[in-house]
Amino acid sequence: MIVRMAKVGVVGPKELLLPVLDLVRESGVFQVEAESRELAAEEKGVHPHRPDLESVARRLFYEDLLRKIDELSPCLTDHPGRESFLEPENALDAIAHVVDKHRLSCRELCRNREQLWQERERLKRQTQFVSAIAPLMEGAADSSLGFFGVTVRDPADLDRLMQLLSDLTGGRYEIMTTTAADGTLVALIALPPQFADRVRRLLEEERIPELAFPEQYRDRPLPEQTRRLQERLLQVTDETARVEADVERFAHRWGPIYHAIQQWLEDRLSLLRATGLIHETDFCFLLHGWLPVPDLERLRAGIGEKFGGSVVVEELQVLEEDLAQVPVSISNPAYFRPFELFSRLLPLPFYTSYDPTLFIGLFFPIFFGMILGDAGYGGLILAGSLALRRYARQRDLRDAAAILFISAWYAIGFGLLYGEFFGIAPSWPFLAGIAVVDRRHAVLPMLIFSVSVGVAHLILGLFLGALGALRRKEPREALLKLANLALLVFLAGAAISRLAPFPAPVTRSLDLAALAAVVAALLAGGLLAPLEMLKHIGNVVSYARIMAIGLASVLIAHVANRLAGLSGEMIFGAVAAGLLHLVNLVLGIFSPTIHVLRLHYVEFFGKFMSYGGRRFEPFRRPGLPHPPPLPRRRAGP
Amino acid sequence: MEKVLLGFAAALAIGLSALATGYAQSKIGSAGAGALAEKPELTGTVIILLAIPETLVILGFVIAAMILYL
Repeated sequence: MIVRMAKVGVVGPKELLLPVLDLVRESGVFQVEAESRELAAEEKGVHPHRPDLESVARRLFYEDLLRKIDELSPCLTDHPGRESFLEPENALDAIAHVVDKHRLSCRELCRNREQLWQERERLKRQTQFVSAIAPLMEGAADSSLGFFGVTVRDPADLDRLMQLLSDLTGGRYEIMTTTAADGTLVALIALPPQFADRVRRLLEEERIPELAFPEQYRDRPLPEQTRRLQERLLQVTDETARVEADVERFAHRWGPIYHAIQQWLEDRLSLLRATGLIHETDFCFLLHGWLPVPDLERLRAGIGEKFGGSVVVEELQVLEEDLAQVPVSISNPAYFRPFELFSRLLPLPFYTSYDPTLFIGLFFPIFFGMILGDAGYGGLILAGSLALRRYARQRDLRDAAAILFISAWYAIGFGLLYGEFFGIAPSWPFLAGIAVVDRRHAVLPMLIFSVSVGVAHLILGLFLGALGALRRKEPREALLKLANLALLVFLAGAAISRLAPFPAPVTRSLDLAALAAVVAALLAGGLLAPLEMLKHIGNVVSYARIMAIGLASVLIAHVANRLAGLSGEMIFGAVAAGLLHLVNLVLGIFSPTIHVLRLHYVEFFGKFMSYGGRRFEPFRRPGLPHPPPLPRRRAGP
Repeated sequence: MEKVLLGFAAALAIGLSALATGYAQSKIGSAGAGALAEKPELTGTVIILLAIPETLVILGFVIAAMILYL
């Protein structure tokens, strides 16, 4: 549900501004507003906070230092357990003196490390090729020959390469292939040195990648290249270890100090930036904003405890013109909280509107159960949801498991009412007294039932819409909603009176009442009212999907059972039926979910929800997920 | 003969509306896949959009049921 918000003003002497802001930030429940109607009233002497020159210079100094420390981050790896016991504020000047020197050396170290990493990776790849062709080299002891190492992507390319080499050298070449550790085909070509340039050009033209040996070894024989490559790899590994040790030493020595100062600077800057939202007079500061009503007394107690009577917290009256600006915070009881997974897909509602989570939490499981309606599938979903709840780590998955857990019970309940267990109607004695309808054969009754559920759901939606319009003081809108509501009621009544034996005067009265509702809607909504009415009737028919998708599900289950019987072989039949039931189960989870959500988002919420609310974003310490509790008010005597 | 015509009419009602739903969903699906490539956070919205044209086939189904059973 949408949390009730209080509009609050905090007033105190200017010299207490930063300590008060600090406490407000620690509380993590107060959204500071830069503009408010009260302060825009041009009260004498009230103006936005103007920092003095010293404050501006200090803020610039902090921002510059923080930027420089951020640049050091590649060299400041975390060392758990190491902490700095220096008071950050006292160490600022000393750090400001050394930070430039550290930046230069850190940049140099990082550049070296990056280059060495790249070279090491290249050498590793080359070594992999070299180790693959090493056995081939043993068969090519004649070092006067020219050698080429190539990778061949497709074995078919090898035939073409051999043909080209044969044409070029007149058959004076030898080619040997092997498979490298990563599975690629590596080939070694040996030929007289006078063909080397032409073969290199040929490989380029044919886009056959030559093994990329370092440029400086290119003119040396391949056996020597191999040896030097391995030597260089050892050197690079040593150099990398040396540079990484330097970085590690730096991080070990300076990391805790820099981390502590970085955090202190971020804290301090968040406070200084917040002062831009404050108003002041010559002697006082004025802080305006919103906080949840349950937190107001806690904030008041916290400020009273720390500053005595010198800082005043006052709740201001929320006027009608403020309502569009009230930030929206959603908080739900434990049962409804998982359903926020679905309401998060919608834009935030206005403060004066409703939290969609409550309605989804109430109706989603019922509609899901009505659609799936199979005790066997419901039981499987129940077991699956329990397993998912146990093993899922992500919050969304845990929420989904909780939703499925609740919905599965409804699926079992409706399954008993429909007398369905994996698509069959078991002849259990207890079920005979519970089952009320066979969905496979009662198509029309189920259709009427689904549409009736739609009428009831939409009547609730229209009623809430009328209520909301009245609260917003929009009587015409409220009248239009009520007229549409009446139209739905009377149309439903008229339809029932024709299906059941009703006295003719009752039927006629219902027809006339529906006509009167149409006239009322036309008066309230003007020329667009007929469109609105048609839309509502279309919305009601849309609820037929509850029956239609349910019928599809039960028929697939029925087909699965028939297949098992038709196969004539027990194992094959059981496997085929099991697979089809599995497909039906997956469809039976996704399809009802999507369609029930659609019924809510489009048909139901369209009647009364208004979106576009401002998210409640309280002022809190950077990176603080939840506000720590404020000190509780001391018990009175 | 009358039964055959009724059956044919019901088949047309549900068949044509199913084709229309399929066509609409193919358009929404391809546009949705494009949108998801750039904004994965729209997954929920795209799924709902994809389910919207199914009203057509539901209406077709209702008409078919009315033809056959009323």
